[in-house]
Amino acid sequence: METYVDATGVDTAATTTEPTPATQTKRKKLKVMIAIDESKNSLYALEWAVDHLRDVLRAEPENDQEGGLLTLLHVHPPHLQYIYPSGGTATAVYATDSVAESMRKAREESTTKLFTRGLEICRGKMVKTETMILEGDPKEMICQAVEQTHVDLLVVGSRGLGMIKRAFLGSVSDYCAQHAKCPILIVRPLRETSTSKEHTKSK
Amino acid sequence: MATGEEKPVMVVGVDESEQSTYALEWTLDRFFAPYAPNFPFKLFIVHAKPNAVSAVGLAGPGTAEVVPYVDADLKHTAARVVDKAKALCQSKSVHGTVIEVFEGDARNILCEVVDKHHASLLVVGSHGYGAIKRAVLGSVSDYCAHHAHCSVMIVKKPKIKV
Repeated sequence: METYVDATGVDTAATTTEPTPATQTKRKKLKVMIAIDESKNSLYALEWAVDHLRDVLRAEPENDQEGGLLTLLHVHPPHLQYIYPSGGTATAVYATDSVAESMRKAREESTTKLFTRGLEICRGKMVKTETMILEGDPKEMICQAVEQTHVDLLVVGSRGLGMIKRAFLGSVSDYCAQHAKCPILIVRPLRETSTSKEHTKSK
Repeated sequence: MATGEEKPVMVVGVDESEQSTYALEWTLDRFFAPYAPNFPFKLFIVHAKPNAVSAVGLAGPGTAEVVPYVDADLKHTAARVVDKAKALCQSKSVHGTVIEVFEGDARNILCEVVDKHHASLLVVGSHGYGAIKRAVLGSVSDYCAHHAHCSVMIVKKPKIKV
């Protein structure tokens, strides 16, 4: 591949005027929503986002600058009924209830744990953070949430599935990239990012 | 403040489409303009100029004479894209960006540029093709989202709801 590199835009900053303080105050920080689940990639995505988007998210009290908003969104699939009452006897109904109850409790616990870890990551970064839980099909709920809350940016992790798996298992990040109504940032999982100088081109 | 070496690198891919311009403008507005002169990222703007021979090759056989004209036309388009990008940066007072043009297929070029500059973030626009167009024409943003070795941000121009 022949490369011909055209003129660069490295302008001499000295010749243009410095921006006056008045223009600097107009720093509208972003409203960012990040979809997380219990996978490792998800929490890594949160860490990455908080790190790299720090400048566009955090409040700057020294400049009297309001911060943006980071929403942690967790969607869990709709409640599954594992036991169907057979025969409709009273005892069967109670059994169903208690199982459903304990399932719900377990799910709440894991969601709470997830958010705790998430908020831990956001702590001390001067970013206003809130959490949101929705129930339903993750892909659709994420896109709906984006529409309703009018966020500036959606962040999702990526499971790094290969092409075939993605076709069959479906990919939330793929779906959101196509259907979300706002810009979307897909965070690559750590092992795939290459910062080493010698990188062999695979495929 | 240390030199620019420590800043994370952002690569924005542009072509001559409106969506691309929108993506660049959105990125400059949110990530660069308000933070002058200490931009949070080092910005590279990359345009992939299609190869003249491959562009003509799709049209039909026996078109060897047309290649120079196609090549000149592609060079003009590339120059236009670069000028537009430069003008956009200057209008937002964003300095120190490097604009590069490479020849070849956009998908491969963007992924290679990401590797070359060890970018943390690649930004692309999206033509918003439907499923069928995507299957036939392919989608650069899709390809990059799956193959680039860094995180990818896809900025779509919002459709005006009637």
